[in-house]
Amino acid sequence: MEILSQVVAYSGLLIEGVILARGIQNKNFAKYSMFYSYLLTVLVTSVFLQIVRHIVSTPVYGPLYWRLDLVTLALGCGVIVDIPGHVFGGHVSLKRFTQWVAILTFGAIFLAFAIHVAFLPNWKPVANAAELERDLRIAQAIPLLSIVFLTGYYGIEIGKNMKGLILGFGVYAGVSIVLLTLGLFIGAQFSPVWKIVVPLSYIAALSIWTVALWSYEPASASPPEPTDIDYRKLAGRTQQALGSIQEQLDRTPDR
Amino acid sequence: MIQLILSLLVGLVLAVSLYFFARRPKPSAEGSAQRLREARQTLDSLQDGLLPNDLVERIFAREDLEYVIAAAPPDVQSLFLADRKNVALGWVRRVRAAVLELMRFHRGHARLHARLSFSTELRLALNFAGLLTACRLLQITFYLRGPYAAPGMVRTAAAAAGRVCSISENSLAFLNVKGIDPFEGGGARHRA
Repeated sequence: MEILSQVVAYSGLLIEGVILARGIQNKNFAKYSMFYSYLLTVLVTSVFLQIVRHIVSTPVYGPLYWRLDLVTLALGCGVIVDIPGHVFGGHVSLKRFTQWVAILTFGAIFLAFAIHVAFLPNWKPVANAAELERDLRIAQAIPLLSIVFLTGYYGIEIGKNMKGLILGFGVYAGVSIVLLTLGLFIGAQFSPVWKIVVPLSYIAALSIWTVALWSYEPASASPPEPTDIDYRKLAGRTQQALGSIQEQLDRTPDR
Repeated sequence: MIQLILSLLVGLVLAVSLYFFARRPKPSAEGSAQRLREARQTLDSLQDGLLPNDLVERIFAREDLEYVIAAAPPDVQSLFLADRKNVALGWVRRVRAAVLELMRFHRGHARLHARLSFSTELRLALNFAGLLTACRLLQITFYLRGPYAAPGMVRTAAAAAGRVCSISENSLAFLNVKGIDPFEGGGARHRA
């Protein structure tokens, strides 16, 4: 078990390094700076934790791990706030909407966290780190779901880079939500499953990101921008057609 | 326990959404003037020639039923009811298809606009959902109880449709700004 987790941890570091190196090589780093900054932080903290693990004792490593995990988690939230800007591009309203969804959900979680710290003296952040991580993963899932839903609803094309970024984050967030929830519910018995599946899901996310970000492939050309009046006419005419269909329904018997 | 169920539900919804997201085909490239014209024509045909009014009145005419009951033997009566049921179901299918077509058109066209009105989009989405639900209820009613179903059952569907109707009116008032006529095109205004 220990060997497996070490192999997975070193594989993760290697893939993170490959993604960053490739990002610098193909100039993706500047285009998706938020994501690469996040990945760089994850790489640095992971290397730091690996070193600490061999030097200091386990009681020190545990709280340190959770503190750094929460820092990278918060940066991950920043990446998710940044994604709508790349996905929706010219669709200003959709971009704003999804960014606000992300900011509000993350804000709500951090506010709840701050209230717990400020008003509950017995509540220790590190002791409840798993719970906080689960809540933040749920908060990450909500904006991701809104992006997935809106792109599907309006048929907006997403480039390979962003599709991979969303999928990678989604896979890791989804697995984390399920496992953290079960872990909190079942307790220590669930630990062996957690120790294998979570790192593997992170490797899966890294693999998706490697493939998706290997080359710069944004979505095709931005949509034209008809005037605001055109949109209102469209909405008005759609509404009118709905009324016309409604009239047909109203003619059914026994009304 | 509720927290457990809700968290697992979020995870499950995310997994299912990502599955379909990964398999989603590339949307067709729309936006050219030709596509825009075609889309306008689709909307015009929906508005002007959706379903002839006299046909609707004919399908649900109670006089026909009363005549058949009064004049025809039982086997002819059941044949008439079965036939009328099929016609009514076919009519609801057409209305439902028209709603879906209109929804597809609106979404396909709305995505070309950079600045969408969130409240208008939400109202339209609710209207579409309401109409599709009303159509489904009518389909179930006609399927189970025939074209001249019990008033109670039809009223349930009609009530849902009525709610959609009032939302539509509010939405139209919102859209009716100076210089913009949402009724431009000459279609008949619905009864609220």
